Formats: sequence, structure tokens, C-alpha cells
Amino acid sequence: MTISPDSQAILLLCSRIALSSNPEFSSLTLREWNPLAKKLISASMRPADLIGLSSQDIQNHLEIDGENSERYFQLLQRGGALAIELERLASLGIQVMTRADPEYPARYRERLKESAPAVLFYAGERALLGQPGIAVVGSRHLDEAGIECAEFVGNSCGLSGLVLYSGGAKGVDTISMYAALSSRGTAVGILADNLEKAIRTPEHREAVSRGDLCLATPYSPDTPFSVGTAMGRNKLIYTLADYAIVVASDAEKGGTWAGATEALRLKWIPVFVLDHPDMPEGNKLLIQKGALQFPHPFPEHYQNLKAWLEAQSTKIKPYSSQLSLF
Amino acid sequence: MDREHTLKLLQKMIGEDKDFRPGQWEAIEAVAIKKQRALVVQRTGWGKSLVYFLATKLLREQGSGPTVLISPLLSLMRNQIETAGRIGIRAFTINSANKEEWAAIEEALAKDECDLMLISPERLNNEHFLKEVLPQISGRIGLFVVDEAHCISDWGHDFRPDYRRIMRIVQMLPKGVPLLGTTATANDRVVADVQTQLGPGLTVHRGPLARESLRLQNIRLSNQSERLAWLAENLPKFKGSGIIYCLTVADTERVTGWLRQKGFSAEAYHAGDDGNMDRPALEQAFLNNEIKILVATVALGMGFDKPDINFVIHFQRPGSVVAYYQQVGRAGRAVEKSYGVLLSGAEDDEIQNYFIESAFPSTQIFQDILQELEKSEGLSLYEILARVNTSKSMAEKALKILEVDGAVGQTFDKKVLYFRTPNPWVPETDRINRVLDLRRSELAQMQAYVDHPDCLMKFLLEALDDPNPVPCGRCANCQRRGFPADVSPRLVLEAEKYLKGAQVIIKPHKQWPVGLFPDQKRNIPLELQNAPGRSLCYYGDAGWGKIVQIGKYREGHFPDKLVNAAANIIRDVWNPEPFPAWVTAIPSCRHPHLVPDFAARLAESLGIPFHLVLTRTSEAPEQKTMQNSTMQARNVVGTITIQKPIPAGPVLLVDDIVDSGWTLTFAGYLLMKSGSGTVLPFTLAQASGRIN
Repeated sequence: MTISPDSQAILLLCSRIALSSNPEFSSLTLREWNPLAKKLISASMRPADLIGLSSQDIQNHLEIDGENSERYFQLLQRGGALAIELERLASLGIQVMTRADPEYPARYRERLKESAPAVLFYAGERALLGQPGIAVVGSRHLDEAGIECAEFVGNSCGLSGLVLYSGGAKGVDTISMYAALSSRGTAVGILADNLEKAIRTPEHREAVSRGDLCLATPYSPDTPFSVGTAMGRNKLIYTLADYAIVVASDAEKGGTWAGATEALRLKWIPVFVLDHPDMPEGNKLLIQKGALQFPHPFPEHYQNLKAWLEAQSTKIKPYSSQLSLF
Repeated sequence: MDREHTLKLLQKMIGEDKDFRPGQWEAIEAVAIKKQRALVVQRTGWGKSLVYFLATKLLREQGSGPTVLISPLLSLMRNQIETAGRIGIRAFTINSANKEEWAAIEEALAKDECDLMLISPERLNNEHFLKEVLPQISGRIGLFVVDEAHCISDWGHDFRPDYRRIMRIVQMLPKGVPLLGTTATANDRVVADVQTQLGPGLTVHRGPLARESLRLQNIRLSNQSERLAWLAENLPKFKGSGIIYCLTVADTERVTGWLRQKGFSAEAYHAGDDGNMDRPALEQAFLNNEIKILVATVALGMGFDKPDINFVIHFQRPGSVVAYYQQVGRAGRAVEKSYGVLLSGAEDDEIQNYFIESAFPSTQIFQDILQELEKSEGLSLYEILARVNTSKSMAEKALKILEVDGAVGQTFDKKVLYFRTPNPWVPETDRINRVLDLRRSELAQMQAYVDHPDCLMKFLLEALDDPNPVPCGRCANCQRRGFPADVSPRLVLEAEKYLKGAQVIIKPHKQWPVGLFPDQKRNIPLELQNAPGRSLCYYGDAGWGKIVQIGKYREGHFPDKLVNAAANIIRDVWNPEPFPAWVTAIPSCRHPHLVPDFAARLAESLGIPFHLVLTRTSEAPEQKTMQNSTMQARNVVGTITIQKPIPAGPVLLVDDIVDSGWTLTFAGYLLMKSGSGTVLPFTLAQASGRIN
């Protein structure tokens, strides 16, 4: 793996890898990184230019206070440890990219702008990230209709060359993902936790090594599951896809609800909700909030899925794009 | 000014009257002042450790983070660490043997009270180290030192897969982290390769390799007994202490036994015996001159630094000039006159070829392991061994290579589990063949060295691409005199007798292998374990070994002289307590009469009865084709049955060749369960797994 000096600097500043569990200086959040990125641009500097500077130099170049410059300096010092950890990750099949890389998913840049994660870890074919496709989301616990729908959308994607996007978790994610892969399609899973462990599952590993699956996460590859990380990654599923289908959602609570309402509010892409007589309360409320109805069973031939979604979503205009930061 | 300051530090470390050796300051300056990447090629004992200790001190004074030193030889650095303490360098090492110190070390790191961290290459793949220790340095690595840097190159004589990982790490190091590679042995090709691997901007600091005090001599004595006799006759002529290098564990034990019998203070040193040998204690005793002669395999490796070694004698010929130079170069670091005598014998090529052939696991082994791992989320080493027919050491070798290739990862869940990564893997046949070809050409060069008629030192220096190879004027060829090559026939006879009478012990198994009887305890009950047994010899070795080989595979009959030799050993040398009351044999469908016939004659010669009570129900594949314990034991169990009733009393259990020992263990278990007394195993030969 080769890594550009800019990416090296961004990893040192923004990622937790090669930091102790309770570090004296914690890595930068996006909220902290974005202003620094702007300062770099106005000083005509690249992130890589920070490597090798003293705390005082950083302070002078960027006109920031001593406390912050010391923190940046300390974080940037751990290049040796970073090299060792990146080598280990690469040997496990895990790569990394940052917002400074040309390969970074354009859809994140365009749709998320400053909220686009500074660092992405991934295993598998990264070109899949942002290819035309459909996101399937929903809670882990599914009813019969939910399972059928997850399988249907997965199979349809697989058979019609669309990428199936999901959160790579148990339940609806896995069902739709395996449905896509088993019909010789491709899939992307945006994980909330433990990428290292996910690629040990034989099914995942095989699809990853075939190039049919890309598992990606903005979190360190050994991050344990938490509600926060699960919430944080929702938008990363929606914003890679062309359409999203919410299979089942609780009402006013849970990650699916939070992610779907966020997507409806920010209008990245058209959001559909599975509509059937026994649908969960959350589905109904989402439809009231403006989500489009996705009938069950699907009334048309599977090949028409994309065209159908397209026709239904003429009502919604996605945001236009702008230039973005590193 | 920097130089003066550094010189003062040096003098504080090693003495007021000392100065830099040529090249030392230049190397220190390169990494500590100019922050460059440097490769230092200097002979062992030149003072490479001074360079990285002093560079560390200078860098720390400038406020840099601690030095990380990667070396395969941590245990041997205690003395150097003490010396470094004189200029206030606080060095720590983290390894699997000092777990109890980890917490204190981590605290020292957190408080920035560690100046130098020594780790083995394996540590770089250790999760605890990566996640807990390394971040404590907060990654502020001030200097990255790669010891034995020739290992980075495929052309280096010492193939260590872990070094490929080091190379990849170095390539990812951000600018501004200085790097120091050190090696004592690197010819032009290796230096060029290391330079490419570590990237441009690597400056090479290279010094002369010749050792002024060393007197070389080569002597050809084809029989082991002649060489043993030579040692007994000539060792008294050497002053001080020295090392005798052998190629195999069995040879070190044999030579040690002989030397002790002849009244010398000698100890064997090797990595066999399941690693039970207290090697640090032996090193210490040797350093203190409490042992005069250490009889060692290559396990006494790089970095062992005893300045007053007077002689290094090779009982067998090493596989390459590089290895030989490194070993013989242990002599004469701080003594006026030292000797390097290379004895070589008839068995050398056979052993070396064996080493070359077994250097890499076969493609089949790699693929079998991967196939098993692909079916699972992770397997322990023993689970792999229960599924793949290969030896433990081969499996470990294969896993190590697969890990470095990124095809296999390791995780820890109560035990170490290996798992398949998504990275593709193709066998690197070309690469392996290239390494093997290199080994063969190195062997040919070493063969040429033995018969070289001119200056021996010059031969070595030329082979190592020394910048200025000149005749030494000291070796036996330059001087036209040396130690005598002929030996007293009386001593040869005595050595021959020793070789034939040497006791080869069969250690009883105490546990069944993992997974053999999943529902039983692994421990074999004490009352059903065999007593320690004896073998007449090592299979195929000088002495009786060849006769056993011919008897088994050519004649289909073991001659009476083996019966007599066996009876003599059992009665006069071994004389077990209790003495056997009867004899039985391990039958074989393949050669139904070979062993029982021999055992019956042996019983007669011992004057006790012979009873054939064991039968083979079906013929398992030959035990030697089974490559690991679980496979071997599984191969035995169920194919041996016992016909009851059996005689009471201690029994001598006879077989021709013991390999894994499971046949004897299981047969003994059956005998004792059926009411025999103590089971005393005896075999004609022991298949010596050739390990060093």
C-alpha cells in the first residue's frame, strides 16, 4: 500500500489508529478538522506540509493558539507508529483513504460536504463506493414481508447490475446483501464497528476477495459497536446510493428512524418506505413525513425496479453539488 | 563540536582512552545530525551498538522520541544495555519472556523515560504491542534501527519473513524519521538490494571485514570418529575458551558426550529439546569462562558477543561463506591470537542438502492450510495440524510466510487463532526457487573454500566483497603450517567405540496429542506411560546407523552384529531398573518378520523369553509419512491390538526405528493396560529430525 503524504497527515490528525485508548491528545473530530483544513487552504498549505513542523511553526503559519498547535504537533509525531499499524492493516486486507485522495467517493464529497468523513477504512473493491445502486435499511428484527422485501431488492440489484448498499449488520442488511451477492451482484456494507472482525466471516471474505463486496467504515477497524457509531454511519449508507428503501422502522426511536428522518430532512436521495397492511408504526409515520411508498409485493417485474423508483421520485430534487474541502 | 561532545559520551561508555573506530562518527552524524537513512556494513565487534546508542543519546538531547531497535537477538544484548546505561540511556525490551515487566515499561514509556526500545521483528505483529505499547511512545519514534538488515534481502543468507514486514513499514515512514540499518555481512548484491528496498537516499557506510588476529585452517577428515579423535588430540593445544559448531542437535550432544568422556569442560548449546535448555544460563557461564567449550548449533547466533574467544572449530562445514565467516568471526575480537579450524566430513553435503530441501514448505502445504482456513473463521495451530498433514515446524514456517504475505492473519481469543484474510495469495515459486538456487551456489562456494590452496582469509573477504582483500599472512595456507591433519589410530578406535556405544534416549510421551481422543483427558496416566527407552543409534548416521539402514531397506534382515551391539548396550550401558523379564516386538504387515526375528534373537542373547503378543490389524501408511503428532497418533491407534493373556513383569518393547514415538507409546499403553509390568522401549535407530 502506498499512501500520499497528505493522507498521512490527515490520518495522523483525524484517525484514532496508533493512539492509546486514553491518549493525552485525542484525534480531531470533523468539527475540529474542517476549520483547520480551511486555515491550511487560506495559508496556501497542504496537510502534508504540517509534518515536520514544530509546534511553534504550526502556531505561526496558521495563526492558532499554542494549545491547539501543540495538540496537532503531538498527533503528527506518531508517523512511525502509524506506518507500523497501516502495514498490519494492509496485511489483513484493510486499506485506507482520506478526503485528500482522488479516489475518495465523489458522492460523499458532493452530498455530505464538510460532514464527509475525513478517513475511510475499507476492504474489497473500492470502485463500488458510489456506483449506481439502492440502499436497504431497517431494524434487525424483521417480519415476513420485511424479509421478502430485503431479498427481493437484493436479488433485483444483483440481477440488474446495481450495487446493494447496506449497513452490513445482522438482519435486513445481511439478508439483502447476501441476496445481491448470491445473484452474482455486488454490494457495499458501511459498518458501524469492527471491520477487522467482519472480514473474517467466510462469506464476507470470499465476496471481498472476489471484488464483489466492499466493506467500509469511517471508524478505526477495531471499534466496538455503539449506538453512536451506528447513528453516525447511517448517512454514509444513504449518500452513496441513488435510492433508499426503508424496510421496517420503529416509530420515533432507533437508528433506522433517526437515519430515515435525517435523510428525509436533508433530501440527499429519494427515500422509500415498505408499505403493506401489517407494516410497523414507524413506516406509517415516515410516509406521513414525506417518504415515498414502496408496495409489497412489488407489482412489476424485478427488472423494472430502478425505472419504477426513478418514475416515483420525480417529486424530489436532490441537492446540487458544490466544491469541498480536503 | 558535536563530534567532541559525542566522543566524550563514548569515553564515558567504554573508557577515557578510547576513540571512535573509523566510520563510527560518520554513521552517527548521518542519522543523528543529518537525519538521513544509513546502512552500516561493519564486521561484528566493530561497535555497531555504540553507533545506535550514541545516536540515540544525541537525538534525545535534541528532544526526539525514543529509538525503536528491531533485532532478532534481544536476549544477547544485556551487556550492551548496561554499557549504554553509563551515558544515561534507559533501554527496555519487550518480549514474551518478560510479561511481568510490561506494565512498568509501559509506564516508563508514558512518562517519556524510555530512550530505547528493543523489540524482535515478531513484536511488530503483536496486537498488545501495537495497541498498548506503541501508542505509549505516542509513536514518537526518534530513530528506527533495523539490526541484521541483510535479512531484508532475499539475497541475504538469513531468510526471515518478518523482515519483509519491516521493509514495508520503513517504506511508509513519514519523511524526517531517521533510519539506521546495520549488518556485519552483506556482499555487494545484498547491499544493492537493501538499498532498493529501503528506498533512495540510503547512504552506505562500509568498513573492512578482515580480522587481524584470526588464523584459519581447513582440515578434511571424512569420518566422525576421526574428527572426534582430532578434537581430543588437539583441543589441549588451544588456550582459553572456544566454540565447536555442529550442524545438528544430535551432533552437539554426541560431541559434548565425547569431550566430557575425554575430560574436557564442554556443554552442548542448541534450540532442540523442546527449547527446554537454559540457553541464557549457558551463555552466561561461557562468558564467565566457567565453561571452556561450548558445542553449539547455529542457535548460538548472531550477536553473541564474547570478546575473548580463542578458537572456533567447525565439526561440520556450514552451508555458506557468509555463515562460516559470521561464526568463525566470533573468535579473536579482543585476543592477540585466535584460531578458526574448519573440519569437514563426509556427511556435510547430505545434511546441507537436507537443510536446503526443507527450507520452505511445499506449495501443497501452503494450499492445504489456506483451504482449511478458508472454511473457518479461525483455527488454532493444533486445529490446523489435525487437518493438514505436515510437521509442526513446517506448519509454523508456512503460517509465518502466509502472514507476512498478508494471506493469513492472527487474532487472540483465549488462544492464538489464524484466519484467512481477503488478500489474494499465489505461491511465489520463482522467489523460492531463486532463494534455493542461491543456497546451492553458496554451498558450492563453501565446498570450494575447503580445498582452497591459497590464503583462506582472502578467499572469504573476496566472497564477501570486502573493499580491500589482501593475503592475511597468518592462515595455515599462508604460513604453510598449522595443526596436524592426521590423528592417532588409537584415539580413532576409541572414538568409534564411543560412537557405537553412545546412548540415544527415547523420551516417553506424557500426553496424547490434541484432538486424538477428544472425550478423554490428554494426560496419559502415569502407570500407563512407558519408561524412558534407548535406541542403538541415530538412523543413517555414522556408527550403526548405516547398518540399520541397509538391514531395513536392502537386506530385509538385521545382522547378528546389531543383535550383539543391542544386547551389550541394554545389559552393560543402559542396564535399566527394573531389568526386563521378557521381550516383545512391534509387528508390521509390510515386513512381518523383520522386527520379531530381530527381537527374538535379542531375547535369546539377553537370556529372557520372547512373546509376540501384539498384532497389526491393518497396515497404516508408514509413520514417517505422517507429519505431525495428531496425524501420527491417529495413524497408530486402532491398528495395533493385543492378544491376551500376556506374561507379567517388565517388558522390553522392540521396534526398528522410532520416529514420532506414538507407536511405542500406544503399544506400551496396551501392554500395561493388559497387565504387563513396566514397558521399556528399545529401537535400533532413532529417526533424528534434523533440527538445529
